[in-house]
Amino acid sequence: MGSSVGHAAAPPPPAPPVGLAVALPPKVEQKSEKKVDYLNLPCPVPFEEIQREALMSLKPELFEGLRFDFTKGLNQKFSLSHSVFMGSMEVPSPSSGIIKVPTAHYEFGANFLDPKLMLVGRVVTDGRLNARVKYDLTDNLTLKINAQLTNEPHFSQGMFNFDYKGKDFRAQYQMGNNAFYGANYIQSVTPHLSLGSEVFWLGHQRKSGIGFAARYNTDKMVTTAQVASTGIVALSYVQKVSEKVSLASDFMYNHMTRDVTSSCGYDYILRQCRLRGKLDSNGCVAAFLEERLNMGVNFILSAEIDHQKKDYKFGFGMTVGE
Amino acid sequence: MGSSVSHAATPPPSIPPPPQHAVGLAGVLPPKSEEKSERKVNWLNLPCPVPFEEIQREALMSLKPELFEGLRFDFTKGLNQKFSLSHSVFMGSMEVPSQSSDTIKVPTAHYEFGANFLDPKLMLVGRVLTDGRLNARVKCDLTDNLTLKINAQLTNEPHFSQGMFNFDYKGKDYRSQFQIGNNAFYGANYIQSVSPHLSLGSEVFWLGHQRKSGVGFAARYDTDKMVATGQVASTGIVALSYVQKVSEKVSLASDFMYNLMTRDVTSSFGYDYILRQCRLRGKFDSAGCVAAYLEERLNMGVNFILSAEINHPKKDYKFGFGMTVGE
Repeated sequence: MGSSVGHAAAPPPPAPPVGLAVALPPKVEQKSEKKVDYLNLPCPVPFEEIQREALMSLKPELFEGLRFDFTKGLNQKFSLSHSVFMGSMEVPSPSSGIIKVPTAHYEFGANFLDPKLMLVGRVVTDGRLNARVKYDLTDNLTLKINAQLTNEPHFSQGMFNFDYKGKDFRAQYQMGNNAFYGANYIQSVTPHLSLGSEVFWLGHQRKSGIGFAARYNTDKMVTTAQVASTGIVALSYVQKVSEKVSLASDFMYNHMTRDVTSSCGYDYILRQCRLRGKLDSNGCVAAFLEERLNMGVNFILSAEIDHQKKDYKFGFGMTVGE
Repeated sequence: MGSSVSHAATPPPSIPPPPQHAVGLAGVLPPKSEEKSERKVNWLNLPCPVPFEEIQREALMSLKPELFEGLRFDFTKGLNQKFSLSHSVFMGSMEVPSQSSDTIKVPTAHYEFGANFLDPKLMLVGRVLTDGRLNARVKCDLTDNLTLKINAQLTNEPHFSQGMFNFDYKGKDYRSQFQIGNNAFYGANYIQSVSPHLSLGSEVFWLGHQRKSGVGFAARYDTDKMVATGQVASTGIVALSYVQKVSEKVSLASDFMYNLMTRDVTSSFGYDYILRQCRLRGKFDSAGCVAAYLEERLNMGVNFILSAEINHPKKDYKFGFGMTVGE
């Protein structure tokens, strides 16, 4: 358009390929989409782990006081763990203020890990016993047992889960005490998207419910959504910004109680430490730092500030052992 | 005694050779006296003793660190060589008195703003807290030997404010102090060095409003390696302390207090490790209380603090961490 015409009229014709260009295959477009093989979709994550990334980033185990964990491996499959906790716990108070009492407990645990069988047991000095069993009956069928026994009557719980892992689906059937029955099913529909649903029935209270879930994940992000007939809507989104940083956000709405909570958090996984911080719509700010002082020695700092209730929880601890 | 006598006749009795005339450098230097000869005590030139209120200073520094529960963050900013500001935030659980024997804690938080002015002759320190308290301290050197100290704590609640004036006179080998406080408090104390290591002192005080008076005596014996103090007061308190400096980095301290009126006895033992990057103080008590306090230097001017206290009989646990930024 008005440029001086100083060179030849048309561009020269492409030259015939010579040398290395003949040996290599012609360069196809980088952005060509691979054809989706709908018969070969990946297996989805289990239904209860749909929000796994968001939960790991946004819900670290905050505590107040001192925590000391010691894990000792006796051999390759068996290990013992000792855990001491001393600090203030909140007790329900009649007034609107927050009352804390100092408490302490010691927890002894034993873990047995086999490729086919996993046994985990924990005993706490306040009289609680936690037991978990995971047993692979066949390649695809897994039995999980989860039991919590307490001193107080009618507070003990037990749950049996049968998990079946198909080619691109998973199904689970649950049976618990208090006449609890549940089942869930999740299926991959595309390489990135999986949909699932669950039903449950509580015998004693004659309650039943149904829920649906969807999960879309790529290399860089995971987004999930869950709706249940109990009136709960839960959405979450996790973005992996880089190898070391990921950001997560979470939204929960309870239709029955008209309760809305939203939280945003970050997760820095660095070489020597892991720092998780989050901010809540309830005015709650929390941070959790795990620093690796040495091989097998971790130093933990936990902080939580609830600005609305003016509640402050700070704790530090140490974890020794793998 | 039966040895073969194969050499010449008995050697002459050994007599030390007569002192040679000093030659060379030996003639210039003074003759070497015994290493362990005690230097003659110059009773007119004794060192000045520590102030009376600081008699137990080493034991207090080792055995009573500022333990806290929760989070503490201090930031000190120097504006110029003499003036600095400090911001201090504390968030955690504080104990509230309760009717039952249980321990009840409530979460509290406060922010403290402070200003310091430091001059060779004049020192001004002020602190203001968000719960309405004001702390002010003045230290002024009126002359080389006379110092005026003012200490004031003002609060919102009536009749809870305090103020104290101290006049300190530092003599050649003695110190004396006169105190005037609100609530008609009058006090005086005097401490004197009686030997290069030992100093003795006494104090009297009079509380006008309650018509109470008291007398106390104190003694302090210190060498390079240890400090021992004893204090007796007519209020019925006997306090003894002993600090041993085991090495450059380690010192051990112990403390004993007996209250004759309330028949209360407390004894504590502690250690104080001063290492290059950190300072660790730990102590345990006859009341079943175990405490530890760690200050670690992460960086130039950045300190990380961990504080822990466990009271076994009362089952009370206090754990806190914090950071101090600035000089």
